[in-house]
Amino acid sequence: MKKLFVLFVFAFTSQIAIAETSIKAEVNGMVCAFCAKGIEKKLNAMPEGKGAFVDLKNRVVVMELKDGQEVTLEKFTQVIKDAGYTVSKIEKVPQSAEAIKLELLKTNGAK
Amino acid sequence: MFKNTRLQALLAAVCVMFGAQSQAAALMGFEDSAMMMTEIGRYNQEWMLNYSPKIGHAFGVEVMRMSAKREQATTIVGLNYNGLIKRWNMPHAQANVWFQGSIGEASGLYDGFAYTPSLQFDAETTRLYFLAKARLIRANDMNYDTAVVQAGFSFYETSFDETQPWFVLEAKTMRNTEPSLQITPAIRLINKNYFFELGVTNPFQGDSFAPRVNAMFVF
Repeated sequence: MKKLFVLFVFAFTSQIAIAETSIKAEVNGMVCAFCAKGIEKKLNAMPEGKGAFVDLKNRVVVMELKDGQEVTLEKFTQVIKDAGYTVSKIEKVPQSAEAIKLELLKTNGAK
Repeated sequence: MFKNTRLQALLAAVCVMFGAQSQAAALMGFEDSAMMMTEIGRYNQEWMLNYSPKIGHAFGVEVMRMSAKREQATTIVGLNYNGLIKRWNMPHAQANVWFQGSIGEASGLYDGFAYTPSLQFDAETTRLYFLAKARLIRANDMNYDTAVVQAGFSFYETSFDETQPWFVLEAKTMRNTEPSLQITPAIRLINKNYFFELGVTNPFQGDSFAPRVNAMFVF
């Protein structure tokens, strides 16, 4: 019984640890800030998000979700498409937008 | 699919060969945005304000003023439409074909109904830029048809929140004006909120020399 309880707690906490907190998309055609501003504006207007950022060098767009909020990958893809761009890869990741930003900054620095 | 891939590869090669920018490829913002543009030179001036209800379409008003040396100017005030005919989004480049045109009233040296349809192709990466545009500028007895080619490069890549400097060289011909060929080297600054360009038209041609300013803002 004790083992079962420990297993349950482990499974529960693990689930929290891998909770998806951000949507990260690689975007084709995103080559200039003036043109890509629409993506940032549209994503920042989404009530489910805490805020979005655009990384031109890695052509990545990220939006962190508010706790308990959900946005489907299809909806996110449509927002990018409506801004005039194409999503080549999209995923939910268990990281904050800030953590992803730092990661990308390191990647940029290494380039 | 295969043809599409080959076309994308060809466009990417064009971008690399000739350069491409990105910014202000055309006078259109994103869905539900407004854009303001101005170009002020010695021979041509242009102002435009438009609204984009949906990506690929923008409607607005445009004022154009053309003048040659020792000649009275002609001003066209009209309603303008910009449409995206085709876009290619590639991993590190984008290319577009646009239609742009105004219908309105000419006044000054020439008067009457005026129309200005144009086609534009542009291709850009984060470091290179190329644009070619042909535009009819017509009214009764008036012909200021224009052809423009631009190519440029950015000095370095920047992040989304930084201002990126570019060098752009433009060759422009306009019928029935003097000088008929305008060569304008320019420095262009691109930010997510604005586009600003300062150039000098025909810098090595004595009295044809003229500064030119070009700016765009998106809201």
